Parts: sequence; C-alpha cells; structure tokens
Amino acid sequence: MSIKVRNLTKIFDDKKVLDDISFDVADGETLAVVGFSGSGKSTVLKLICGLLEKDDGEIITSEGDVAMVFQYSALFDSLNVADNISFALRERRDLRNKYSEEDLKEIVSNKLELVGLSGIERKFPSELSGGMQKRVSFARAIVTEPKTILYDEPTAGLDPISSTLIEDYIVRLQQETNAASIVVTHQMSTITRTANRLIMLYNGKIVFEGTPEDMLKAENPYTKQFVTASLEGPMHMIS
Amino acid sequence: MVTFKQYFRQSATYKIFRAFNHQFVDFVTTLGAIVQNGIMTLKYILMGQVEKKELFDQCVRFGISSLPITLSIVGMTSIIVTSQVAAEMVKQGGGNFVGLLVSILIVREVGAVMSGFAIISMIGSSLASELATMRVTEQIDAITVLKVNPIRYLFVPRVLSGILMMPVLVIIASAFGVVAGAVTTAMTTELGFLAYFDSAWLGIYMKDLSVCMLKAVAFGGTIALISCSCGYQASGGAKGVGLATNKAVVWSLIAIVIWDLIFSIAFFF
Repeated sequence: MSIKVRNLTKIFDDKKVLDDISFDVADGETLAVVGFSGSGKSTVLKLICGLLEKDDGEIITSEGDVAMVFQYSALFDSLNVADNISFALRERRDLRNKYSEEDLKEIVSNKLELVGLSGIERKFPSELSGGMQKRVSFARAIVTEPKTILYDEPTAGLDPISSTLIEDYIVRLQQETNAASIVVTHQMSTITRTANRLIMLYNGKIVFEGTPEDMLKAENPYTKQFVTASLEGPMHMIS
Repeated sequence: MVTFKQYFRQSATYKIFRAFNHQFVDFVTTLGAIVQNGIMTLKYILMGQVEKKELFDQCVRFGISSLPITLSIVGMTSIIVTSQVAAEMVKQGGGNFVGLLVSILIVREVGAVMSGFAIISMIGSSLASELATMRVTEQIDAITVLKVNPIRYLFVPRVLSGILMMPVLVIIASAFGVVAGAVTTAMTTELGFLAYFDSAWLGIYMKDLSVCMLKAVAFGGTIALISCSCGYQASGGAKGVGLATNKAVVWSLIAIVIWDLIFSIAFFF
C-alpha cells in the first residue's frame, strides 16, 4: 500500500477541517478527493506532502519521494523551463552531484517529451499558457521518480480542451510511473477520466467512498447532490 | 438580555484592546521568525552551504543595481551639510577644518546610515516583495516539497550578499561623499581642494573606518535578513505582498537606527 491514512485530524482555529478520516491508495491507483470548496481537500494533500503538521492520526507513504502538482503550477518564474524541471536534481543535497550537465539536459528533454512539450527548455513560465505551465509542473514533479504524486485541482481554470489534455497526461503519468496518485478536484470530467476510486469530504468527514461509476449510480444523498450540482440536499456551502 | 461579555465585546475598549493584542502577537511572531531564520542562515553560511552562482547574482543585484541611488543619497547629503557649514566656518576662521568635519561626518555616520536607507528602499523592498510573491504563489511550498531547504536556497545567498556588498557600497559612497563635500566647498568658499583634502585626511581615523565597516556588515546582513523574513512570512494575495513589503521597510529602518545607536554607545560614548 503506497499511501495509508489513518484517523487523520486537522484543526484550524478550533475548527476541525479533517475529522478522523482514513483511506488507502495502492501503487498505480488514482484516488480522487472531491467536495465543496473549503471542505479540506487541499489540506489532505498538504498533510501528506508535509507542508502542514497533522493534529492527530497517521500518514504512511511508500519509501521514495512525494511529488505535488500545485493548483496554479507554482513554477519558479525566475527560472526557465529546463531549470524548473531540473531544480530538485541541481539543488537537493543528496542529488546535486549525481548528474552531469549532459545528464540533466537529457532528463529534462525526456520529461518534456513525456508531457508533450519538447523544445521549450529555454522559455520562461510567463511565456507559456496555463495548460503548458501545468504540464511543465507535471514534468518537474516526476523528475525525481516519485512513488506518490499529488495533484491539487489540476484542471482548475483551464478551458475544456486543455482540461481533457491534462486529464490524459495524469492517466499517462500513472501508467508510466506506477505511482500512487491523489487528485483533488471538483470537476466531474477529471473524476471520471482519471480516478479509479474517489472519496467525498464534507464537514471534515468522508461521506462517500467508491468508484466513479458507483458515484453516478449510487443513491447516496451527498453524491447525488454533488453530481446534480443541486442546492437542495444534505450539503450546505461552508462559509 | 445582553450579557456583560456581549456588551464588552461590542465596546470600543475591547476593539482597541484586540487591535493592540493583534499588534503585539504580530510583533512577537515577526521578531521570532527573524531570529530563527537568522540562526538557520548563519548555520548554513558557517557550514559553507552556499550556492556560488546564486550568491554572485545576488551580489550583482545588491551592489551594482543599488549603486546609483546610494551615491546620489550620500552625495546629496554631503552637499547639503557642506553648503550649510563651509561658508560659515570659513567666515569664523575655521576654514582649515571644513574637510575634517565633513570626513568625520561621512565616515562615522552619513556614509553607512544613508547607504543603509538607500539599500532598504532599493533592495530590502525588492527582496521582501520577491519572497512574498513566491510565498503566495506557492513557489516556496514547491521548493519545500522538492526537498530543497528554502532557508538555504533563498536566505543564504541574499543575506551573504548583503554582508559582503554593503561594506563595498559604503566605502564607495563615503569616498563619493567626501569628494562631493570638496566640490561644494570649492564652489561656496574660496577654500581650494588642497586645503580641504589636507584637513579631510586628518579626520579619517582607523578606528572610525573599522567601525564604519562593522556597521556596514551589520546593516547589510540585517536589511537582507529582515526583508527575506518578512517576505517569507507573507500570507494572502496581493494585500499580503504589500503588507510584507511595508513591514520589511519599517522593521529595517528601525533596525538600522537601533544598530547605529548600539555602535555609537559601544565606540563613541
């Protein structure tokens, strides 16, 4: 089991954003985490990759790196694409002397080819479209061959065609890396096209767990409200 | 019925207390972050964990880009002071001491302090807004997730470049200030360059130069550290970047004045 989360609790200012949640993600599997804005989806990712400290519970990931693709790509705007992708290999103390300049060039070129962006090594992030920035951030995330990949709203703010392209690359990376992946999203197409399973969060709890097909078929009032985008149902917008 | 607690919470006294409390908490957390980041940065510098290319880039930014404004501020301060005292001193028979007065003033005080103010406006604000933008756009989170230490990557080259480049800037700016004083003296009095520089040399003591260099090192490191820390602690969006930059400038100005007071007490009391 590549990601094992047990009884995870996170409290911000006396509010339990995550309340005793548990789930697993296997190697080569993609789990979608869905829910309203503010339901704690991104918090789950930040806890797994160590950006936030948990208040209670346990998170176990396979040995190896945990990579994260940020919602707005978070590319380093002062570095070009090649330096963004090779950043960890150049700056990490355990990796920095491992690769020659030639090796780095080849790795960058391979990763860019994998995300369909060959030949843009010298460009800066500001010269790329939102979809291209996202794909460069995919390349940067997988440069250290991670065993766990976390995607924070990977299709947010993209047009439908770019979203489809990004979803295809998420599936492709899953096949290439066999990593355990978690995709935080509230877009139905991203759920149905990339995820093997999904969990739905509401009020800090998991209110549904199953496959995307289950979600579409199930009579669960939470998933039904989410799928139909209805204002009527058990979930109310969290202010 | 409104309880006393509810009544008190709606009162102006409570709001003022809350505002002060918020200011106090903010002060303590900012100071704590600066000290903590300073200790970590110093540790990495002493361990030699310095990225040379990044250090060179930051030195160029610190030294070259801020040189014109530093020279302008120190030069103009020297002109203002000299134009007001030179003619009067000559009139009172103290013309032989104009160079001495200006050189003491520049070397002991104006060179370092005015350069510090110039660096805060040029470099400090830019460092704070750069790191704050990186924070709010999750670039610092990305550095952390990629397992690169953000203090080593961001703070070390910036703080070290401040420590290395500030003395260079202060030497150049002070020399420029003394020369500006000579030109002003020549233009406003009948005193020649030779007479000015003859007395100017007498006002330059090794102790003053050493203290001036110590000040420069302290100012450069402090401005860079405070600016990086304020940017690093930023939160929110554009407003957060603005607040962080504002805080960096205010804290740096206060720190420079405090450092100056400490040096004055330690060496000239």
